[in-house]
Amino acid sequence: MDRLSASFRDPSGFVFSHNGIIHRQVNSRYARDYEQLMESGLYEALIQKQWLIRHEEVQESAISLGPGAYKLLRPEQVPYISYPYEWCFSQLKDAALLTLKIAAKALQYDMMLKDASAYNVQFLGSRPLFIDTLSFAPYVEGEPWIAYRQFCQHFLAPLALMAYVDISVAKLLVTQIDGIPLATASRLLPLKTRLKSGLYSHLHLHAKTQQRFADSAEETNTRALEDRKPRISKKALRAILESLAVTISNLKWRPPKTEWGEYYAQTNYSPGAADNKANVLRQLIESIPSPLATIHDLGANTGVYSEIAAAHCRYLVSQDIDPIAVEAQYQKRRASGPKNILPLLQDVTAPSPAIGWRNTERDAFTKRAHCDAVLALALVHHLAITNNTPLGDIAAFFADLAPYLIIEFVPKSDSQVKRLLATREDIFPDYTEAGFERIFGEVFVVECKQGVAGSDRTLYLMKRRVDTDKN
Amino acid sequence: MPRLMAIVITFSCATLMSGKAFAYLDPGTGSMILQGVIAGVALAWFTIKMYWYKITSLFGRKPPENLLDDDVNQDGEP
Repeated sequence: MDRLSASFRDPSGFVFSHNGIIHRQVNSRYARDYEQLMESGLYEALIQKQWLIRHEEVQESAISLGPGAYKLLRPEQVPYISYPYEWCFSQLKDAALLTLKIAAKALQYDMMLKDASAYNVQFLGSRPLFIDTLSFAPYVEGEPWIAYRQFCQHFLAPLALMAYVDISVAKLLVTQIDGIPLATASRLLPLKTRLKSGLYSHLHLHAKTQQRFADSAEETNTRALEDRKPRISKKALRAILESLAVTISNLKWRPPKTEWGEYYAQTNYSPGAADNKANVLRQLIESIPSPLATIHDLGANTGVYSEIAAAHCRYLVSQDIDPIAVEAQYQKRRASGPKNILPLLQDVTAPSPAIGWRNTERDAFTKRAHCDAVLALALVHHLAITNNTPLGDIAAFFADLAPYLIIEFVPKSDSQVKRLLATREDIFPDYTEAGFERIFGEVFVVECKQGVAGSDRTLYLMKRRVDTDKN
Repeated sequence: MPRLMAIVITFSCATLMSGKAFAYLDPGTGSMILQGVIAGVALAWFTIKMYWYKITSLFGRKPPENLLDDDVNQDGEP
């Protein structure tokens, strides 16, 4: 049994991997709550809405359960685990609204969410899915929402900062594993957000109230706290959930001077050359032995080529450094698919690190991204020239991730590279097609090479040398 | 036998636990108290909104989508 290192906070149970399959142990102390979830009709209602991850109860003699075990669940498997700091604005917003919808639905069945962490949501393609089956607790008449603070820290604060300050502030979530402290968000947000009733009450006033009681001596006096705890009717609790939903729903992010529609149309290729590139890509992917489980497209932009590759694999993770491109792609996929593409934010020059307790709670990109093939189209010049990464290091990075690589070489004669070199000294004597082939050739075997007609660029299909030498 | 005892004890504890919700998070004193403060306002706002939609629906206007997507009844009772 390989217990996942992030699964330790809630004593109701834990998640572990057995032969690569994720399982969840339900502990006896959670037995009553689990049975209420399953028997009240709530589980069925959530599954019908496709809001909660489906699971089956299993009995595996091969798995020796941990102490205090009540049941063993095998949930639907999520092809790729992503984190809130890798989501675009609308992904985080959809995850927030899903959490509130589930809380409201639970209330109807006399249950409530006992936590509201953004890490409880994952994406299946562009569809958010709540994955923590043990987050449900019986609703106690009159009790406020225990997870209110966590919801505001994990969702409301980052979304408000993204909408009103800067989209990149979401990166704070990398260092703040339990969400952005409300006092921090309140200080960073502009004055006008105090005039909005939702943001004022759930964020600014919330931060102030927290501070007021954190400083108070009453904090240590349990009796006094118990007396001051408000009683809130179920109707009022639902009204608070709705108020949060309206506040979140009103948060909009629109990058300056950009229309989403225009963004789809932007490309460095002439229409003819873009078609040629698509055809070459199709040929190269078809020559990789199938079936392909997962492909990672790095530097995917709005995912035009991801869509071509996704027709040849079960799941494709389409990643880009640009929040506008990821947002545009997510909106498009949400509306019209394909369903097996997950758009994410990722800076390949500084990929998501391992964070949390012992640096093992949330895995680094390099630990999660092992796959069958990597696509790196129009990326190598950004790594080699903008980031000064030696070509050998770039080859080693890709070889760590997948046995197959489809890579586009963009030569110095290309207008994009000319632009990168226009303001700096050319210190890249190896950055030529011959140099690229020689250096990448140390780690990969070139299986196929094709120029893209109508441009100076070349696409390669490469196979990792260690796999080739084995055969 | 000790295993059986353990199961019996665990079960009894689980069933005997009072009506208090089991919480592993610290809800935060300020966050609990604030909910008491805003609950009344939120409920009043919600009730007015429900009546407003009832009135405007008489004139053929469709109420906006229910963001929580639950089957809340006209009285706001979940």
